[in-house]
Amino acid sequence: MSYTLQVSDLNVQFYTRRGIYKALNGVDLSLKQGEIFGVAGESGCGKTTLGLTIMGLLPKNAAVTQGEVLLAGNRDLTACLRNAAPSEGEKFNIKQSEEAIKKLNRESCDIRGTKISMVFQDPMTSLNPVLQIGFQIAETIIAHQPRPLAERKIARTKVTHDDLGQIIKLLKEGADEQAINKYAESKNLHGIEDQVLSVWRRNDLGETKKEKIILSLHSEKLGSFEKLVLERVGSGKNIGGWMRIPGINRAAKNVLLKEGYIKATELLSMLEVPNPDKVVRMYPHELSGGMRQRIVIAIALANNPELVILDEPTSALDVTVQAQILELTRHLKHRFNTSFIFISHDLSVLSEVCDRIGIMYAGRIVEIAPIDAVFSRPLHPYTRMLTKAIPTIDGNEIQGIGGTVPDMRNVPIGCSFNPRCPDATEKCRSAKPSMVEVEEGHFVACFPKGD
Amino acid sequence: MLIATRQLVKHFPIKGESAFGKSLTLKAVEGVNLQVREGEVVGIVGESGSGKTTLGRMLLGLLKPTAGQIFFDIPDEVLQQYDACIANKDLGKAAEIEKQYSIFSKNRGRQREIRKKTNIVFQDPYSSLDPRLNILDIIMEPIVATGYLRSKEAVQRCMELLDEVGLPGDFAYRYPHELSGGQRQRVALARGIATLPKFLVLDEPTSALDVSVQAQVLALLRKIREKYNIGMVLITHNIAVISYMADQVNVMYAGKIVEIGQKKDVILKPIHPYNIALISAVPGKAVKGTKIILKGDTPNLVDPPGGCSFHPRCPVSFNRCGWSASEVVSDLKYLIEDKYPDRFKEGTNVSINMSGDVIITNADLISVKELISLEKKWTKSLAAIDDVSETNEGVKLKLSPCIVPEMYPQDNRLVACLHYAPL
Amino acid sequence: MSEAELKTRKWENTRLSLSVFFANKAAVIGLIIVMAYVVDALLVQFAPQAIGIHSPGTLVENFYNTVPSPPSLAHPFGTTYPGVDLFTSMVKAVRIDLFYSVLVVAIGAAVGSIVGVVSANVGGLMDEIVMRITDVFFSIPYLILALAVGFILGRSLLNMSIALAIVWWPLYARYTRSQTLSTKEFTFVEAAKASGVSRLKIMYKHILPNALPPVFIQISLDLGSIMVIFSTLAFIGFIENASIPELGYLSSLGLNYIQTAPWTVIFPGVAITLFALAVNLVGDGLRDVMDPRRRS
Repeated sequence: MSYTLQVSDLNVQFYTRRGIYKALNGVDLSLKQGEIFGVAGESGCGKTTLGLTIMGLLPKNAAVTQGEVLLAGNRDLTACLRNAAPSEGEKFNIKQSEEAIKKLNRESCDIRGTKISMVFQDPMTSLNPVLQIGFQIAETIIAHQPRPLAERKIARTKVTHDDLGQIIKLLKEGADEQAINKYAESKNLHGIEDQVLSVWRRNDLGETKKEKIILSLHSEKLGSFEKLVLERVGSGKNIGGWMRIPGINRAAKNVLLKEGYIKATELLSMLEVPNPDKVVRMYPHELSGGMRQRIVIAIALANNPELVILDEPTSALDVTVQAQILELTRHLKHRFNTSFIFISHDLSVLSEVCDRIGIMYAGRIVEIAPIDAVFSRPLHPYTRMLTKAIPTIDGNEIQGIGGTVPDMRNVPIGCSFNPRCPDATEKCRSAKPSMVEVEEGHFVACFPKGD
Repeated sequence: MLIATRQLVKHFPIKGESAFGKSLTLKAVEGVNLQVREGEVVGIVGESGSGKTTLGRMLLGLLKPTAGQIFFDIPDEVLQQYDACIANKDLGKAAEIEKQYSIFSKNRGRQREIRKKTNIVFQDPYSSLDPRLNILDIIMEPIVATGYLRSKEAVQRCMELLDEVGLPGDFAYRYPHELSGGQRQRVALARGIATLPKFLVLDEPTSALDVSVQAQVLALLRKIREKYNIGMVLITHNIAVISYMADQVNVMYAGKIVEIGQKKDVILKPIHPYNIALISAVPGKAVKGTKIILKGDTPNLVDPPGGCSFHPRCPVSFNRCGWSASEVVSDLKYLIEDKYPDRFKEGTNVSINMSGDVIITNADLISVKELISLEKKWTKSLAAIDDVSETNEGVKLKLSPCIVPEMYPQDNRLVACLHYAPL
Repeated sequence: MSEAELKTRKWENTRLSLSVFFANKAAVIGLIIVMAYVVDALLVQFAPQAIGIHSPGTLVENFYNTVPSPPSLAHPFGTTYPGVDLFTSMVKAVRIDLFYSVLVVAIGAAVGSIVGVVSANVGGLMDEIVMRITDVFFSIPYLILALAVGFILGRSLLNMSIALAIVWWPLYARYTRSQTLSTKEFTFVEAAKASGVSRLKIMYKHILPNALPPVFIQISLDLGSIMVIFSTLAFIGFIENASIPELGYLSSLGLNYIQTAPWTVIFPGVAITLFALAVNLVGDGLRDVMDPRRRS
């Protein structure tokens, strides 16, 4: 069992003029490959902070005082920040924290956008209003994986009409992705399979039209400058040397950008955006909220990341558009093997897409369960009361939870839920419960329920 | 009838460019007839762009409608009389009734009365309370402004109200920024019922709150409604909340009401295609059946679709629903060029002629007819093609005229869908 | 109980504001400098004898020795033409400068704010007309207007202030108008309307207290700008007689000696610039206090 992400005993604090807010107090989480893990909780529980910590996007007044976040078993994402955090009794040094963040940014260049990416809540502000959609998608591809782009274009210069005809024949016979890859490799046409497959998979075109498009993918002509750039990038090197001169640099990037736009069109058609060739040349304000969120998801998926964190992606959208995006997420899960962390305050939304859910309260995960168990057999008192508080379409009685979310500057001693818990015991008021596996895959951090 | 609207319309003029110098308007609300009885909770459900917020503002007199009437506290007989006058074109008598019962009357005294008997609770607990006033002043505002009570009694009433909404008395001297979202919303509610109004508009009262807090606030709303018999209009996009609170439910789409009825009918057994899709889109296991995923987005209100505004996205639209020639043309173009290019020659052109029919040049009649019968099930606009014939212009497609649906009675409710129009 | 609670709550808030302000070191330095000027002005106004100034309203000239002499023990900043001790003159001048700067800004802000708030509230045609009037005033260069006013009413510091105030109020009108328009968007204004509060009452109870605080920051910044402009006008000769202590005028006295006695121009100039800088820093500190995001 390979874990994409392992979070152990994560503690994060924020230092402000009004006091120290303990946003995360020992979060444990293991994310399997290819699963959608939901993080549910109300405001102030720390779910957004968890997402930001994994991405390393914390502000300079935050400190990771304890714990680690391991990506793919070996890369600790929080090492820098943890080393800069003040130890017991030390005063918080904001300069030190700034330095640590700068160091983290430098080190994370190779994983942010490639291995992990994030989708935020508000699609209006996640996209740059003055750049075309295609540019924003292509930008992220060029920044991290320009080589496949160059290979694609080079492959188009080398491939012949007959090769393409052969590939179409293979596709019609029902060959899968691997077979096409092998064929392309054998003919030294690495980079063509990607393009052919994405055209073939479109379901808004007729077969004849698809064939026509595929057959037109050959005999691409390249100018000598383009050839230079593509060969250099295609062999794995960056645009460097004499190509770094300002005007020439721009021209070189444009060569890659053109190909990037084509790849962006393919990505958008995979995400079921209508008229993708027109959309890539449009600006964000010309599109609706649902479209924008699809584009943000396209940017997040552009480089085939291992982990995508979605922070309330549908909270700003209408119900019908939300249904579209959730359907899309389900579809993506089956297509790719990416793991998702889906953060939301709405348990019903999570029940639509997630495999497992973790319920957070006051900076800790208090229950992890498979999706059906959360509603049919909730163990933790908070989960139970939360499920009873959600109004359903049948208009059943709902019950609120008495009391308020604790002030994160003074988290209650013992189990942080004990002031509001109807089943609290003496033990709950003095000690912090740890996660116990009560049944297969169902963990709970509660003394009365966990034992 | 506590509140009754007749043919309420609100258009917002849009500044900026427009083709041919015509000024553009955003048609936010089109022809809404809404009725609220005393003590009844009427829910208005809709997504963004449905016009529900604009409607809510108009019901309280905060926005002046472009056309239509809003009556407050009008006896049923007078309302019937008014409807009769309009039907018989007796405009004089109608104007008299309007003058007496309209919510926009110029009479100062009547305005005061209306303000005393109506109020509103907004969605955002952070901007609906003046950050410079303390809670006591905030709650006292409607009491003092309408002259409901004098100063000493007013303060007393405020303390009672704080107790009523479950806040401790010492909150009176606190400031909004010291309170949580749920507490602020309770203060807004206390202010809303301060003058014991007969009518309260609640604009997304719990959308900005956490689930557990929302449950508390909704329970409080129910309690208050039962205790004081206040008629409410609850505007929200959250269908579960409507299901919990409302008696009568109105579903809005693109500025019009598409289905009105009792909660058990409209929500549990929806019949309007939009409503069906909306209910099925609600997340959670409680909603049974397969999800209907609508394509496309909420309509452009500056240039709304003709006929029934839902027809471009409706899974069951047919020929009279309002397909325009341009919609048919764009669908045909896509089919001919992208999906079935092998059936047609190069140079086939689709256009609209002077009389509004669709003309296809450089194509033969048989292939066009075949295409239409093949794709009719999936491409809904083709259903609007009444007649296909060969003329000297090319293949001519005549389209059905479209009808704007009215509210038709069906199954204990009113629905604005041509499927249910009487034949 | 509630009275005492009220007091503790108000104190908490003030304490937080003060701590935010004092955390900004630059603002504190600015405040000290501004206070120094204010104290100077007050002393010269009310107790000139205490600091050894005998004629607070005029320069003490020494026609026996008109050539500027460098800084020495007797004259800490040196002397300027015609034999005027620079230090005492500057001390006297600060009072005059500060007084007129405050006067101009006060009149400009008061008139401008009222016009701006009312215009934004009334809206419609009147709003348009008022904005076009402010456009007209914006297009008037202050120098030309000051000259015109000086020609008609005579050259004096008071007339100069009037001219500057005339040019300055449109800025406040525009600024408060935009603040008012954005405050009007808050739903508590709509809630007040729904509760039956009259339009006038909404204006002074809800809109003014929320729209005006940013204006105070603008005022503090303007004090610096006005003093610079004021000194410029005095520099070119906009004063009653040749013996008014005024920082700009003092600079002009040393013009002929600028190469041999630069201190005559530098010291008064620095005094003006220092004030403008200090007041800017204070304004920045105030902005920290008022903006809820920068507060934490």
